[in-house]
Amino acid sequence: MASAPKAVSSKTAVMTAAPRSSLLKRMRSQKQLMIMSLPLLLYVLLFNYYPIWGWLQAFQDYKPALPFSQQDWVGFKQFKFLFKDDTFLLVLRNTIGMSFINLVLGFVTAIVFAILLNEIKSKLHKRTIQTISYLPHFLSWIIVTGLVANALSVDGGIVNVVLMKLGFIHEPIMWLSKPHYFWGIVGASHVWKEVGWNAIIYLAAITSIDPSLYEAAEIDGANRYRKMLNITLPGIRSIVIILLIMNLGWILDAGFEVQYLLGNGVVVDWSQTIDIFVLKYGLQIGNYSLATAAGIFKSVVSITLIFVANTIAKRFGEDRLI
Amino acid sequence: MRTRTLRLEPVVFQSFNAIVMIALAVITLYPFLNTLAVSFNPGNDTIRGGIYLWPRVWTDQNYRAVFAGGTIYHAFWVSVARTLIATVLSLFLTSMLAYTVSRKEYVFRKPVTIIIVMTMYFNAGLIPSYFLIKDLHLLNSFLVYIVPGLISAFNMIVIRTYIQTLPDGLIESAKVDGAGDFRTFFSIIMPLCQPVLATVALFVAVGQWNSWFDTFLYASSKQSLSTLQYELMKLLSSASFSNSNPSVANGNNANAALNMVTPISIRAAITIVASVPILVVYPFLQKYFVHGMNLGSVKE
Amino acid sequence: MGVVKRKTLWGSLSLGITLSLALAGCGGNTDNSNAVVNQGTKDPASNAANADNGSAATASDDLKPITISAFIGSPNQQPTADNRIYKKIQDELGVKLNMEFLVGDLQQKLGVMIAGGEYPDLISADPKLVTAKAVIPLEDLIDKYGPHLKEHYAAYWNRMKDSSDGHIYWLPNYGAYTGETHSNSYSGPAFWIQKNILKEAGYPTPTTLDDYFKLISDYAEKHPTIDGQPTIGYTTLAYGWQTFGLLNAPEHLSGHANDGGVVVDDGVASVFATADIAKTYYKKLNDVYNQGLMDKEAFVQNADQYNAKISSGRVLGMFDQHWNFQGAENELVAQNKIGETYVGFPLTYDGVKDHYLDRGVINLNNGFGISKDAKDPIRIIKFLDAQLDEKWQKILQWGEEGVDYQVDENGKFFRTPEQRKQQEDPAWKLANKAEALLGYAPKIEGTYSDGNATDAGSQPDEFYASLKPEDKELLDAYHHKTWSEFFSPAPENPVYYPAWQIDLIDGSDASVANKQMSDASLKYLPRAIMSKSDKFDSVWQDYVNAYKKINVKAYEDRINAQIQWRIQNWTSK
Repeated sequence: MASAPKAVSSKTAVMTAAPRSSLLKRMRSQKQLMIMSLPLLLYVLLFNYYPIWGWLQAFQDYKPALPFSQQDWVGFKQFKFLFKDDTFLLVLRNTIGMSFINLVLGFVTAIVFAILLNEIKSKLHKRTIQTISYLPHFLSWIIVTGLVANALSVDGGIVNVVLMKLGFIHEPIMWLSKPHYFWGIVGASHVWKEVGWNAIIYLAAITSIDPSLYEAAEIDGANRYRKMLNITLPGIRSIVIILLIMNLGWILDAGFEVQYLLGNGVVVDWSQTIDIFVLKYGLQIGNYSLATAAGIFKSVVSITLIFVANTIAKRFGEDRLI
Repeated sequence: MRTRTLRLEPVVFQSFNAIVMIALAVITLYPFLNTLAVSFNPGNDTIRGGIYLWPRVWTDQNYRAVFAGGTIYHAFWVSVARTLIATVLSLFLTSMLAYTVSRKEYVFRKPVTIIIVMTMYFNAGLIPSYFLIKDLHLLNSFLVYIVPGLISAFNMIVIRTYIQTLPDGLIESAKVDGAGDFRTFFSIIMPLCQPVLATVALFVAVGQWNSWFDTFLYASSKQSLSTLQYELMKLLSSASFSNSNPSVANGNNANAALNMVTPISIRAAITIVASVPILVVYPFLQKYFVHGMNLGSVKE
Repeated sequence: MGVVKRKTLWGSLSLGITLSLALAGCGGNTDNSNAVVNQGTKDPASNAANADNGSAATASDDLKPITISAFIGSPNQQPTADNRIYKKIQDELGVKLNMEFLVGDLQQKLGVMIAGGEYPDLISADPKLVTAKAVIPLEDLIDKYGPHLKEHYAAYWNRMKDSSDGHIYWLPNYGAYTGETHSNSYSGPAFWIQKNILKEAGYPTPTTLDDYFKLISDYAEKHPTIDGQPTIGYTTLAYGWQTFGLLNAPEHLSGHANDGGVVVDDGVASVFATADIAKTYYKKLNDVYNQGLMDKEAFVQNADQYNAKISSGRVLGMFDQHWNFQGAENELVAQNKIGETYVGFPLTYDGVKDHYLDRGVINLNNGFGISKDAKDPIRIIKFLDAQLDEKWQKILQWGEEGVDYQVDENGKFFRTPEQRKQQEDPAWKLANKAEALLGYAPKIEGTYSDGNATDAGSQPDEFYASLKPEDKELLDAYHHKTWSEFFSPAPENPVYYPAWQIDLIDGSDASVANKQMSDASLKYLPRAIMSKSDKFDSVWQDYVNAYKKINVKAYEDRINAQIQWRIQNWTSK
């Protein structure tokens, strides 16, 4: 089918509504693509979609001890409990706030790191630094938060010691009992643990950039910064946009481990996330339905967000997730 | 550059960059070294705090505790097997799917993409998933490690995005030569995608290697299926438990002085034991994305 | 960010542990009966005679080999395949145990197990399993096939019946005493103070908060640093599930026993978190804080940091359960800083008699039950009955004579230093002890018919051997022989005691209120304590207002209903 490549060489060609007969014709010509994808689609439908019947328990007082048919149906009780609670707005704010900080910090640091690492000439140094940088990814949060707590201690913690030596502060700051520092501390901890790991994907993307582009730029007399700005960054632009859209969908997943481990009663108004709330008032006291209800709420928000983001990206002519 | 006038700028940049990189290496290396030091320090001594880069007193007791049960040797091989098999299969199937949704002319491109992408944003829950696994007779079977997670939406999108950055002309010229999609995928796309495939392989392998929850849910009653991470989890749980349980911690000073191995010290040793094997793999994958591919040569 | 694999709320490693600890923590709130309790319900001699008959009967019984599968709801390590004690059980009792231990979160595991509807033969207790009809009633089986069990539990028979249908589903693993219970050290709640302070002050006996903090402030003034680091007058731990150090002190100060979140007066329970007895205590802590004696980091620290501070020897005092900081104290002993270890005092408000020490209670809703899937329940009951024989109890608790312990010329059991040392080796224990079975099976506690303590930890000679010279000097100065003598002897327990054992029912209003109360306390108490003296009252008012929004009554009603139920059903002898 020689005409097909030409037909798809511009985006608009696909978008224009093709007559029905031509659709069937295209399908026939795409047999191989269908064989490659449709069985896997069935697989995903079975493993990911079929179990969604479990969402029904959000409308029940689910007790594992009873068969599904004997559960108590309670309508929207769980959702009401979730939304009605005084603290809900607070935990929503904290979740979005921390997610947002993590998103921005996480992206910026990983991209900058990948680009700077790419500028290192020596392969050995490059590899060594990259290997070291992703080591903390393999440590559990309980270890990392332990180190964070020690570093921030008023009792000889390195952060206070250094700041005092440098004369920025005169007495140690109780970092972990200042509510307004909490989000920042969580964001910084994420960067510490994940910057090297997150950079891997960008490093892979950088390799797809055509080296002749750099050569051409050099001939044009572009300096290092021009090349980074005009070649490297655009080269990883699609993956950055795609990852941004994907991550936007996880804005309500600020996590719970870090906040649980670093948080305390004094900063609870700034540290509690949706997941922690659900953990406390759902899972820990055996109310599984609440967790399911919260999960549904988060899924609805996520899916709305990625569609909105996707549409915006489309309007600006950027790469799209879907 | 050298041949032109020696400018100050590259030197400044390189030194600045070197300083940033070294600083980053230091702060990211520290947690690992600290964990290593704690893992070689006696647990009861670690309680005092103040262990940084070097153990105060050397001991191998934490590691002896990890290896004491003897069950982790077999579990190690189960972990290796599941990681290898699942990584190869998942890489193959996910990239194949990614290829199909990267084809703009594909009629099912949009529905397939949407259906797959959505799976990232919901979670059916524990109990229904358990029933599914049970109905498929995957309980207490090695296949339960492989079958359920073969397609990852995230990885599919990453590969798709990479394929889309490849020059269109490549595929078109293959088509002109009469190559079908299978051949295009195997002989053109796969080789060109080495960097992203290496990345995704790392993601899948690390995920597989670190996974213990599926063992917990679906295979916990069969010791021969236990994985390294699950054995280590058992160890960690029991150490944390005996340290915090009044009925165990009870008793007089004579037998309470015994907690040589504490949760902190055992966790450190476990972290090292669990992560070293997977860390060793990394340098082999690394060459695929540090070197870079010269696409120019294949381009036209 | 960490976008590779989306973490589900369920799937977290460390949180699973936090959770299971949280659950263990509720149980761990109390029950530290270490007084010398003479149970007096049984005559050791007749008990011994019965035991002998029993073992004769068991020997002639049908011992066809059987494999029993078991699920243990706490994390333990798998014993080695050739474990000496399990092997002995297999050889002599014909029972091979196939045990699975908990990893991760218990509630999650049980949820899946119940949903799947398949159970191992033996299963450790949880109320969910009764609701799910996963376990079978045991009364008839015990009557017919379990003579040792029947006698062992005779005094507690009524209490073991489930409050919903009157059947017995679980065989409690602790709290059924035989003969004399020795307890030498004290691992329960107290206001702890460093031994050095007592020595320097001439061995006074503080009885009130004022006495106690006076001692601390005098000492802190004289010793602003200890080992080169600043002295910390008083600290407290309120992290994760370990919050009793902050929350439970008022009930003890006011002379109540440890009932968890409520005080019970004349059989009526009430929440005391915002009561005057609480306000007085926290106001005192506020004063102490403004005096600079209280650890500034107290409410921020995690358990590791708390223990590190204590083991550095510069914390002068705290309110806590002893077992909660025992690891740190052991470390002080290892450094030979005996003067920096602690003595507990039962402080009370003026004119109130202390009730810190309590008597052991039967550990209801714990131990093993037999599942509906068990193929041969009779054989399983016979096995549990046989292991309750004194011969087997000695093997399980002390070990094998000559290998794990020695017997002196008077028939007293003791361990040589080498034997004591190997008991500390985790690898050795996996191969040579049946810890999981011992932990969950019915067991004899107190003394055997030959006068030996049932386990090495409570053998008096073992305790005296462990005392350091400084400890002896201090005990002599107070004319005490054991640490528990600093407390008033435990009175007879009320029939409903302890209220903390009451199950709040998953997902009920009572359990929601319970969570909200502890959230509010952890949020407002630190603020109140760390406020300027003149601001304390207004923060306290905020705290009280926060409590007013909580359905405290639902919580109290549940507790009171159960207390009444217990009084009605358990009082009959």
